[in-house]
Amino acid sequence: MPNGLKLLIIKEVKDLLRDPKILIGMILFPALILPIMGGAISLSTQSSYQSASGSLSILIVDHDGGEMAAALEDFLRRSGANVTVMDGDPAEVAAGLGGGDVLVHIPANLTESMGAGIRGNLTFYINFRDYSFPEFIKSGRVNDLILSFERMLVNQTVSGAMPGSDPSVVLNPLDTGYVSMINGKPQQVDPSLLQNTIMMQSYMTPFVIMIVLILAMQVAATSIAVEKEAKTLETLLTIPVSRLSILFSKLVGSVTIALLATVATVFAFTYYMGAVTSSIVSSAPGIDLASLGIAPSFQGYLILGLSIFAALISALALALTLGTLSKDVRGAQSLIGVIIVPVFIPAIILMMTEISALPPAIQTALYLIPFTYPVLATKALFSGSFGVVLIGLVYMAAFTLLTLYVAAKVFSTDKIMTARLVLKRRQRSPPPE
Amino acid sequence: MAPLTVVRDLVKEYSGRRALDGITFSIDEGEVFGLIGPNGAGKTTTLRILSTIIRPTSGSAEICGKEIVRDAESVRRIISYLPEEAGAYPNLSGSEYLRFMASFYYSSKGEIARTFEEGVRISGLGDRLRDKTSAYSKGMRRRLLLARALMVRPKLAILDEPTSGLDVTHAFHLRKTIRTYSKEYGTTVLLSSHNMLEVEYLCDRVAFLNRGRIVEIGTPAELRSRAGASNLEEAFVKVIGIA
Repeated sequence: MPNGLKLLIIKEVKDLLRDPKILIGMILFPALILPIMGGAISLSTQSSYQSASGSLSILIVDHDGGEMAAALEDFLRRSGANVTVMDGDPAEVAAGLGGGDVLVHIPANLTESMGAGIRGNLTFYINFRDYSFPEFIKSGRVNDLILSFERMLVNQTVSGAMPGSDPSVVLNPLDTGYVSMINGKPQQVDPSLLQNTIMMQSYMTPFVIMIVLILAMQVAATSIAVEKEAKTLETLLTIPVSRLSILFSKLVGSVTIALLATVATVFAFTYYMGAVTSSIVSSAPGIDLASLGIAPSFQGYLILGLSIFAALISALALALTLGTLSKDVRGAQSLIGVIIVPVFIPAIILMMTEISALPPAIQTALYLIPFTYPVLATKALFSGSFGVVLIGLVYMAAFTLLTLYVAAKVFSTDKIMTARLVLKRRQRSPPPE
Repeated sequence: MAPLTVVRDLVKEYSGRRALDGITFSIDEGEVFGLIGPNGAGKTTTLRILSTIIRPTSGSAEICGKEIVRDAESVRRIISYLPEEAGAYPNLSGSEYLRFMASFYYSSKGEIARTFEEGVRISGLGDRLRDKTSAYSKGMRRRLLLARALMVRPKLAILDEPTSGLDVTHAFHLRKTIRTYSKEYGTTVLLSSHNMLEVEYLCDRVAFLNRGRIVEIGTPAELRSRAGASNLEEAFVKVIGIA
């Protein structure tokens, strides 16, 4: 590597890492704030569950006084609930309850109605005070108990009508099972479970790719605009180093920062997701894709990596070109704000659907966006159909070369000093003295 | 002896507007040459062309026999340019900045160290060189940047308004440094300035630039004499015709 280029790369990385906006905003902030958020959510959720999972108090206003009301009260007590029976208007009594406490109103003639084959009616009064998680959990627990009571009544009725039969078989005479045909082989896997597992992985990767591309573009565009704003570019252009070296050092510096930011973000996001999901989802059964023979292959990961890298370089080339055409940092950032849209669109659309399911015009538009291909590569990891992704690699290489050529042209002409690309209206730079 | 710098019929147009309209001049080796002119006269454009930042629309210029467009990379090895509103990398210390810049001109550690020490001496910033340049005052930053420009001992130092906006102390230090360096090492200097006192003190020869043309050129004494003026400022005003 030529000495000048090496010096510029070292300076670039050092300068970027010492910039508090980059160090804090792109590396430390995601590395710290996401785990802190995840920890806070986990802590609050766990404490909510703990506060809501204590003994359950249920008030009953019994206007029936019959056999059915007595059976319900007895069932609730046997289920561990503290049951208190009160008189009065249920709404008035419920108004005095604690947050999330539940009052069950048993109307007059419940026993008589149900005995006559008419559907009975129970009303729950839930007193919300702060609409917190524990309040919702408590009301849900009462509802579950009442459903269990109802199931018990149904089982008794079935057993009475059909002595010797199994009520659960009478009520659910059919059992269903799923066999998913994977790579031509039968696998005992519920398709919905398979879908959940693959979707979870399909969402994460495009999300991370989006973050990386956007961060890298911001760093790249800003790195040149900063030279203009800090008035260091003029000096840099007169020292004995080629202008392509200056451009390339910006590229390498941006990639380095983007990779560091990515590692910090992925690490932090993984922790965050783990903390959040483990606290909310008590049992989310995942499946081992490798045991089913659809785990991504090494070649698949290699193509995905190449695709992400090519998209990254394309994005950086585009951002550098815009940075060279911007007057200052603010101008560069506003231009990047617009370019972020085509980065988001493929990831968001393809998270929800397959590209082949889209109208031809939208398909064409997506294929023209270089940032579509890494998202397609994440999907191809499971299907193994990498044809379009490989074509995309060639397309991204061509796109990058063309964009870098434009950036190099701008860098080697007066445009580097005079270009003032701004949004809304085109401004011509005032010539120097 | 052939002049160190030769400029012939230099023209520069920006979007059809002529910023330089065929200027011709030469600078001898060891000479301090000044460009004086009102705002928009073409001073910075001339300096930027000679520094290889921008290209002329037509005309040519040579420094030490090297053509500034064709041999731009070679020219950059023998010149040093101090832009009017130059900055230093705010996240680097003054020392790091000087060492970083010295490394582009020399490959051996000894030469880099010698150049760096020269920069430290020229800047006169002492221990403050350990601080990040973002903590520097405008005067300190300018001293650092002048040190950067001179420490590599260029054949031609191109200085755009070297003392513009500085207080008396810093301006005095910079002028003294330029003068001393030119005399001690025979460095040729091309500078632009609005400060007539500075130009009279520093320059061996001066060119008056107006609307992209050189309207007068000579030593400060010759310019005063031709205009029948008692000082350079009066001569400038008479020649430009703004009195």
